[in-house]
Amino acid sequence: MALLQISEPGGKGPKVSRKFAVGIDLGTTNSLVAVPCGDSVETLPDDQGQDLLPSVVRYLDGETQPQVGYLALANAISDPLNTVISAKRFLGKRVAEIVEANPFIPYQFINTDDKEIPAIDTAAGPRTPLEVSADILRVLASRAEKFLNGSLDGAVITVPAYFNDAQRQQTRDAARLAGLKVLRLLNEPTAAAVAYGLDSKDEGNVVVYDLGGGTFDVSILSLQRGVFQVLATGGDTSLGGDDFDNVLANWVIKQSGNKDPLEPAARSELLAAVRDARHALTDSASVALHFDKWQGTLDRDTFAELVNELNDRTLNACRRVLRDAGLKVGDIDNVVLVGGATRMPVVRHRVADFFQRQPLADIDPDKVVAIGAGIQADVLVGNKPGDSFLLLDVNPLSLGIETVGELVEKIIPRNTTIPVAKAQEFTTFKDGQTAMLIHVVQGERELVSDCRSLARFELRGIPPMTAGAAKIRVTFQVDADGLLSVNATEVSTGTTAEIQVKPSYGLSSNVIEEMLKASQRYAEEDMKARALNEARIEAQQILDALVGALISDSNLLTEDELDRIKTATGKLETALQTQDSRQIQELTAKLNAETAEFATRRMDKEIVRALRGEAISSVHDS
Amino acid sequence: MFSDKSFFEVFSIAARFEVDLIALADRYRNLQVQVHPDRVADGTEQQKLQAIQAASYLNEAYETLSSPQRRAAYLLQLRGVDVNRVDQSDLSPALLLEQIELRERLEGLPRDESGLTQMEQLRVSIEERHLESQEQFAHNIEHENLANAKKRYYEMQYFAKLIAEIDSLEEVLLGY
Repeated sequence: MALLQISEPGGKGPKVSRKFAVGIDLGTTNSLVAVPCGDSVETLPDDQGQDLLPSVVRYLDGETQPQVGYLALANAISDPLNTVISAKRFLGKRVAEIVEANPFIPYQFINTDDKEIPAIDTAAGPRTPLEVSADILRVLASRAEKFLNGSLDGAVITVPAYFNDAQRQQTRDAARLAGLKVLRLLNEPTAAAVAYGLDSKDEGNVVVYDLGGGTFDVSILSLQRGVFQVLATGGDTSLGGDDFDNVLANWVIKQSGNKDPLEPAARSELLAAVRDARHALTDSASVALHFDKWQGTLDRDTFAELVNELNDRTLNACRRVLRDAGLKVGDIDNVVLVGGATRMPVVRHRVADFFQRQPLADIDPDKVVAIGAGIQADVLVGNKPGDSFLLLDVNPLSLGIETVGELVEKIIPRNTTIPVAKAQEFTTFKDGQTAMLIHVVQGERELVSDCRSLARFELRGIPPMTAGAAKIRVTFQVDADGLLSVNATEVSTGTTAEIQVKPSYGLSSNVIEEMLKASQRYAEEDMKARALNEARIEAQQILDALVGALISDSNLLTEDELDRIKTATGKLETALQTQDSRQIQELTAKLNAETAEFATRRMDKEIVRALRGEAISSVHDS
Repeated sequence: MFSDKSFFEVFSIAARFEVDLIALADRYRNLQVQVHPDRVADGTEQQKLQAIQAASYLNEAYETLSSPQRRAAYLLQLRGVDVNRVDQSDLSPALLLEQIELRERLEGLPRDESGLTQMEQLRVSIEERHLESQEQFAHNIEHENLANAKKRYYEMQYFAKLIAEIDSLEEVLLGY
């Protein structure tokens, strides 16, 4: 019956009510859209045949449609105030954070209130980074709709693995603003692995090494029968291709003997020249360079030596992620390269040496993320019902709450597979306490002041009980997009409070990375600080309990015993003024031992009273 | 969808300390393919909420059973033993002394290259002790000797904590 099976031209078989879904790589510098075409997924070009859309938007007075892409980029220098470049870096941040991270930023911000999303003052009115991102997404969406000749049923948008709650939230909101239905926010490295994984049907562990213009990300995924599980993710958000250019520029300046500081214009010119030289080294062994009156050549060996330290830094991040994943270099089956900077042979060689295998690079490193997102979009929208392909992501930073002594109790450690719900019980610290402040923080350090505050909310209406009797259950829920909500309940009465962590509390990715770095640097100090805090709390609890006990029951002690307890108390109180956690612990143990007999006698006394019909609680209250 | 089942029942495996981790990972992935929110990315809010709950429970079950430490605590919890309530008799003086000694050795290591080698040796010997206490835990729980199992649990926990401390110290020394 072959004659009846007429397939549509270009397609591989008859298609039934196929839905239209796209993958979008919303990048800092460039953005792309990818759509499923027959058996493969491809990125779509504009009318001029360019797949990359520069992530640049220019707002004009009186025009409803802004310029987006190459046209806007061409006007960036002549109209800097109205041309927004790299809006992605501003997503989920406060004005103060944006200005601090970008001191030369030309834009005028309107909302400087920390609670508001910052808006840039443009000729067309105020525009938030979220709206700018939406304008980019709109152009890509209409490009896809024109190609598909139909409206879109959904989109997968990629985000850096390091994006926090606020940044993810705003990316999702930008897509909604652009009229897109978001099927999933997908981490960029995961998307890259998907792009390769489905081609080769590989099984095993894959490293995604993503060196972009300004950031470095590395992730390890395990692939088993169509399930991609992110095992660990990490990186360095202030390391990228730009740093290679800076190293080269400084070398040229040194070679030329120039000692004067460069004018900004001359510096940009030099940077452009060394960037061209660096690109040329991808295909040739050496390249001619000139600067001012100096002329010279740069060969690959010299270049390799100059950027050795930069490569070392990326490989150190790889070591750390391997450790987080519990794997060794020998366990890695494939390495995938993402990002334009991985075109440099010097980077490829070092990566190949480190992982003892040739990295995969046959998909264009600029397009691989969008292609992976397109594949995932096709699956999510239901076009591949027989396909059991699934992506399991992790949360990149630990989530926790503040406890007594300004310590952080981690509730969901970093690199936990999401979605995840974790509950932990806490208790009241003081007698009769009726409210509790729940302070949600994100970060790896032990002390609250070293982590990033995400939200504070209060649980009220706890029935007054003795310290330690109330049971407060705090539940963290992180969904598949990596977005957090927190809920607190007092177990015995069912009093609840809930919060959806809001985007205005954004963490910059630089801050995330600094916190990670600091957590390593300070790991030892933190352990000590934590030990000291814990020792102090424990000591204070015993001392507090003892004061009450001595008031009501000191008649149970001989004078000698009372003296010994008082001496031990005095010593502990003195030690509490010091930083010596070990001594505090020892003296607490000593005081504990001295009072053990006293505690037994009090217990006996209470039992006797209870037997006489007197409630034990009334003894406590006296 | 799962929440009325024990973590072992979720994976249809026997509630024992010994677990085939490879088979467990396999079952985990098969189940996650069925319940993950991505399966209903195009569905209703109600379906999505259910999927998040089921996938979260599955993740918790997998995370618990794939770690010897958490698996042991869970086996005790199923028998009504709360590992968060430490009794004086749970910690033998010998164990405490051993801990103090190991900790002092760790703290006394030189903070340089030679320290790294010694730390590796220390790690190997602690990992051996960790395995021993796991074997003894398995034996005790099998024979429903809960008091001893609980003791072994704390032993495992001490060793696991020490190994984690070695890891973080090593990161500091290597400058990751």
